[in-house]
Parts: sequence; C-alpha cells; structure tokens
Amino acid sequence: MYSKVLSYGLKGIEGFPIDVETDVSNGLPHFEIVGLADTAIKEAKERVRNAIKNSGLNYPIKKITINLAPADIKKEGALYDLAIAVAILSCDEENQIKHEKDYVYIGELSFDGSIKKVKGVLPLLISARKLGYKKFIIPFENSHEASFISGVEIYSAQNLIEVFKFLRGEEHLPLVEACQFEDVVKQSAGGLDFSNVKGQAMAKRALEIAAAGGHNLLMIGPPGSGKSMLAKCFPTILPELTFDEALEVTKIHSVAGELDGKTGIVSTRPFRSPHHTASTVALTGGGNYSKPGEISLADHGVLFLDEFPEYTRHAIETLRQPLEDGVITVARSNATIVYPANFTLIASMNPCPCGNYGSKDKECRCSATQISKYLSKLSGPIMDRIDIHIEVENVTYDQLKSDHLEESSKVIKARVDRAREIQLQRFAKSSNYCNAKMNVAQTKKICKLNSDCETLMRNAFEKLHLSARAHDRILKVARTIADLEGCEFIQPAHIAEAISYRTLDRKYWQ
Amino acid sequence: MNDLKYLIIFLSQFDLANSKIGQIIDNIGEKKSISAFRKSKLVKNGVLTSEMFEKMLEACDEKLVRTYILNIQNKGIDIVTKFDENYPEKLFNLDDAPFILYYMGDISLANMSSLAVVGSRKPTAYGRMVTERLVRDAAAAGVVIVSGLAFGVDAIAHKTCIETGGKTIAVLGGGFEHIYPQEHFSLAMEIAKKGLLISEFRPKKTATKYSFPLRNRIIAGLSDGVLITEASIKSGTIHTKEFALEYGKNIYAVPGNIYSINSQLTNDIIKTCQAECVTKSDDILKDYKLINECRNEQVSMFDNVNEDEKNLLKLLKNGMKSIDDLTKECKLSINVFNSCLTTLEIRGIIKRMPGGYVALN
Repeated sequence: MYSKVLSYGLKGIEGFPIDVETDVSNGLPHFEIVGLADTAIKEAKERVRNAIKNSGLNYPIKKITINLAPADIKKEGALYDLAIAVAILSCDEENQIKHEKDYVYIGELSFDGSIKKVKGVLPLLISARKLGYKKFIIPFENSHEASFISGVEIYSAQNLIEVFKFLRGEEHLPLVEACQFEDVVKQSAGGLDFSNVKGQAMAKRALEIAAAGGHNLLMIGPPGSGKSMLAKCFPTILPELTFDEALEVTKIHSVAGELDGKTGIVSTRPFRSPHHTASTVALTGGGNYSKPGEISLADHGVLFLDEFPEYTRHAIETLRQPLEDGVITVARSNATIVYPANFTLIASMNPCPCGNYGSKDKECRCSATQISKYLSKLSGPIMDRIDIHIEVENVTYDQLKSDHLEESSKVIKARVDRAREIQLQRFAKSSNYCNAKMNVAQTKKICKLNSDCETLMRNAFEKLHLSARAHDRILKVARTIADLEGCEFIQPAHIAEAISYRTLDRKYWQ
Repeated sequence: MNDLKYLIIFLSQFDLANSKIGQIIDNIGEKKSISAFRKSKLVKNGVLTSEMFEKMLEACDEKLVRTYILNIQNKGIDIVTKFDENYPEKLFNLDDAPFILYYMGDISLANMSSLAVVGSRKPTAYGRMVTERLVRDAAAAGVVIVSGLAFGVDAIAHKTCIETGGKTIAVLGGGFEHIYPQEHFSLAMEIAKKGLLISEFRPKKTATKYSFPLRNRIIAGLSDGVLITEASIKSGTIHTKEFALEYGKNIYAVPGNIYSINSQLTNDIIKTCQAECVTKSDDILKDYKLINECRNEQVSMFDNVNEDEKNLLKLLKNGMKSIDDLTKECKLSINVFNSCLTTLEIRGIIKRMPGGYVALN
C-alpha cells in the first residue's frame, strides 16, 4: 500500500516542498527512512510509532518504507514527524482517511501523541503560499506566528488524534485566526528612552544622524562613559518596522528558534549584542545544522558590537560583505545559504587597551605600540564602511544629577522619520532606501556640492589631513544632515558638521 | 680619504664603545692607519682582548673597508668622522664625542642654532598641545628642532616642525637599517629629505636598551638648549637632561598639573632650578635672540569669525575644554556647534584632541 502527503523543509530561510512517500508492504516488521535524512529524522521512527500506538491507533506490523523526496537535498529537524505519521495512517484503508493530500503537514510528535512546536513555521508558510499551497496543519503552539499570514487556511492541532479525526471528517480543527500587525505594534512598549541619558549631546546628535541615514557608527570612549546605554536607546529612535520588514525579521528569528511564542511576530527592530568572544560562525550563521547568526538576527535592526577590537580579527573582517551588500553568504560543504543581514552597525571601543588614553585626569598605562596595535585591529576596509565616528566622554556627577530635561526618543524619532520620508521619495526608483546605502554613482549625483562647499571640503582635506576614504562618507553624512533640516541642497554647515564625525580618519588620533 | 678616516670606519664595524675607539686610536702608535692596526700591540697594552683582536684582524683590509663604505653609500647614507671638516662643531668638543656619524640629509643643519625637544612617549592632550605650540613658534623663528624620532613628544616635535616648514634633526637610537620605532619609518625618510637623520651606529646595528642613552647624549650635544615639554620621573628624558646639564646647555621645562604623573619630571626640575620655566615661546626664543613674529596672532584671532564662533573662542580662552562642557556653556545647538568647531579647526584657530578636548591653537 502506498500513500503520499506533503510536508515542507527549510534551506536557509526559504522553504521547499517535500513529498513524504510511504509504502507499507508485507514482510518482516521494519521501518526505514530514505532521502538524505539527518539523525533527528531517522529517529522519527520511534516517535511516530509510539505516538500512533499511544494515541490508540493502529500501527501496522509490516515493512514500512518512507521516502522524503526530492532525495538529493539534505533534510534536517523533527518537523516531518506529523507528515510521516499521517502518511502511515493513510496507508491503512480501514482508517478511512480522506483528503489527506490537500494539506501540508508540519509538526513534531511526542510519544503521547501530542504535537510539539517547531522552528521556522513562518518562513515555511510564506514560501509555500508563494508556490500556491492553500491548506496547512501546524502545531497549536506555532499558531501565533502563523496568524499574520493571510489568504490561506491554517489549522492548528494539539495532538495526533485530533488530526486523525479531522482527516476522517469527524471533528473540526480550529482555524488560526488572522491577527493585525498594528495591534501587536501598539502592545509593545520599550522601557528605554533617550530622556534617561544625561548629557552626551554630541553622541546623541550623531546617533540621530545615524538613525536618519542608516549610517553605521563607531563610539570611542573610556570605560563607563555610557556607550552601551546610548546604543541600547538607539532602536527607540529608529523608524517603525513595516509589516513586510517585520515578516522578514520574523522569518529569520523563527528559523533560529528565537521567536517569542506569545506575540508570534517580531514587531520592534531587533537589537543584538553578541559578546566579543562570539565565534565567527555565531556571527555569520552556518554550522552543521545551518542557522542564521547574530548579524542576520539583527536584520532591519541594530547590531551592537561592544569592545569592537576585542573581537577576533577574522570575525571583524567577515562583516565586510554584509555591511556592503546587506546579505551574508554562508558556503559549507553541503550547501550555500544566503541569509539577509541588513543591519545598522553600532560599534563601541575604548581608545586603548586600558581605556584611559587621551583622558585628562586618568593615567594611560599602555605603550604606544599597544595603542597602535589596538587601533590597527580595525582594518581600512572596515573603517571604510563605518560612516560616523564619535568620542564619548565620561559623564560628570553634576550632569547625572542635573534636572535639565533631555529630549525624549519620541521627539528625536519624529525628526528621523521626516528625514527617512525624504529619502524614501528620493530613492523611490532604486533598490536603495537610505543615504548610507548610496553607491558611487548615486553619491555623485545626489550629493552635488556648490562652490562654497567645494572650497570647504578642499580646505578640510588639506588642513585636517583627512584620508581619501573619508570623502564619500562625509558627503553621505552631510546629505543626511541636510535631510534632517529639510534642505534640498547640502550647505557648508552640513559638510562642516559631517567632518566633525570623522575622528579616526584624522591625523590627531595617533 | 685619509688613513685615519679608514681606520675609524673600520673600527666602527665592531660595535665598540666610543671610548674604546678613542683608546685604540691613542694606543695604535704614530701612524694612524689600518695597516698600523694590524701591527699594533693593542692586546699587549690591554686595550683589546686577543679574541677580539683576532676577529678584527680578519676584516682588517683596506679593500674590505672600501666595499663596506661603498655599500653604505649606495644606500644613500653618508659618513662623517670626528676629524672631517664637516663634522658638527657642537659635538667636537664633547668629552665623549662620537668618532663616527652616519647620516642622511643636510649635515650643515647640525651647526645651526637648535633646540632639542624631548619628553614623554605618551603625552597627554596637554603635553601634545604644548609641544606643538612651542615647536611651531621655534621652528617659525628659524630654530632647528632636534629630537629622537621616538613615539610621543619626539614625533610630534618632528612632525610639527616639518609642517611649519622648519628644519629638524632626528637622532637615531640604532642603525639606519633598523629604524626604531618602525612605525616612524616614513617620518624618518621625510626628515632625511627635508632635514637631517643622524646615527652613531653602523647601519646594521639594532637599537638596544643601552643605545638610547647614548643617542640622548648626541641630542643634548647637538642642541643649544633642551626643552622638556612633558615627562614623568621614570622617563628616559632624564638622560637627555643629565647630559644637557653636563654639557652646560640651557634646559627649559614646561610646568604641568601637580597631580599629573606625566609632568612630574618637568615640575621637579623647575623646582630645583635645573631648568628654566617656560610658559610661552618667547621664554625660549629670547635666549636665541630671535623675535617671535607669531606673537600677535592671537589678538587678531577674532577677525573674520561670526558671532557663534566668537563665543566659542571666548570660552576657550582659559585653556582646554571638553566638548561636552563646551556644548553646554556655549548654548549653541549641537549641529551649529559642530560645524563651528570644524570651520575654526580648518582655519587653524582651534585644535581638537583625542579624548574629546578642544583648545586654542
């Protein structure tokens, strides 16, 4: 007896259909799974047998062969359990299962027959919907994350017996109710706010510009100057995630198994801060069971790298491609996977290993070689991709205790939103959406300078010893500053301000 | 080239102490030449050990010395010995005057009126600022700046001098093929082109812990005055100061914060009257009988600046300020503030320093 049902597999964050073919024939009792299955799938044999048995259903004492087609793609994970169980059950005509071919089954089985939550449901559903599949049966615990997919019928089941009865037409499975993204966004309120950060006017302004233009930013300052605090507040002034962006982000988080089961969708911009001991693979993704890394989890959000030079050089250099293209290509022997990685990099570092270099009242204990070695950890190509560098100072006690009312994130965000609006209009026809991502041709066209600006730029290069790589960066940042002010053309003041954010390109840092 | 010169160059290949070279020359007999060395009784006199003498005899050949000189000259390095005409006069009368000097650049700079600028390898923002300011004024007045190419104050002195268009001399602590620190190789080459790079060590000799004090004696010897801008008690600058005292040169020191470890040495030597206290460039230049033309610049600084910039400059009048304090005190919006800062910096009126400080230039 033969039956075939549908399930879905994952490659990177894209799904692909898998036919679960089952053949039950006479012979010595035996269970075999073929089709490049990994250990988790091979072990499905025990889970499926016990789940069927403990659900009070009839497990055929025969020779059972399962084929997962296409047979040449490696498959991972336990999400095929439900499909395998249904396929086995539907082989037995006595079970009277009908319409089993209409559904796509996703779910892991437990010995008692209950269906457990699996990773990556959202990307699977999105890919399947694209290919025209209409009906799905998924684990009940994954229903929140599926509730944002419209135009398809998604049923959620808690155990195998429910599915069994549903397929026999005896009972109904609950349909997953559609949820509105806007409702979720309203619920999520952040605790951090720029109004809680005292002083640091310079850093705040730089972060505002970074948010407005999507620029990457590097903070240099002594330990305890509030670099991390500033970085954590940064997402509060970023524009809201759009629904499409949220889906994109949720897909990645779903695959990585980092999704919050209650809301089911990532509604705020992610903020990831991997520790500096993180391995390169932890950052980029990949590994034996390919999983998106930290930089992909920060997609459409913020990647905060504290103590930037403490990361391994290798790890830092791997950021080059994602910073340039917004994706990371992970090539391994069994597959090449592309994960999105469109993040804003906020990095922070001390000015030297001990942290006190340049400080007015503290003694720096590092030798000159140590300092230059520390700074040289940031290679030219990486510095090329960071538009804004600022120095963050220690906050004094008076500043901490002052009653001076600081600007709230909301006010800053309103300005950022306005600047983004202008950029969206400007880049409406291109794939780009913010100033930081302009290519050379665009920079040339969009950041035209009048003669005053040109003179200023020339003087700055000669007098301040700016490096060549600073040129385009300054133009882009100046453009963003102009957008923040709503100016159509870049003014000399904008250029002058942009230049002040190029600390590390200047000769004085030696 | 005379025989004596050959002899000195020959001797300089063996890393002998400078005084040892003197002893050999004194004990070699009437005729000072390489062939005389071969026949000399230096071992018997106890000047050299027999092993050393044997070793030296192997290379004791005028032809070999000639190729050695040629090799060095091919690298663009010149040699001057103590008995040559162009040997720096200021060094000649020193007790421990180096018998040989390797150099690149213009050796006549060594006879001009000069100021050694030395100090900490890791100056604070204050030390950096002071060094730049004093060097700029001195270099503009035509004083040659002598220093040791090290990190920190040395490098700042050289660089500022070159930027001002002045002449500078760098004395190396090792041979020309091992310029130390390596990071300053390009700076050294620039100095060789525009000033003078000098070393008493053969090109292949690497710098050692012991060679730096020797270098410091040349720095002190070559200059007419020694300026210490910022140095801690443990600094190697102390050697330069000692030599300068011994040679009877003027010593100038810039006072600093009494809590700052980096200003301990300078404060100490001012207190014990070993050094003259310097608070402005004229304190030094008066001894050089030079009038500082840049003196009145600050008064005219307020021309051609707008209201906002003027406010900023007023706030900076009392010395260095952190950017954060400045933003609060000037009450400008941060974007205007930043652009003012850059404009003033480009015009050379103010200066920004690591750590987020701003000061008048």
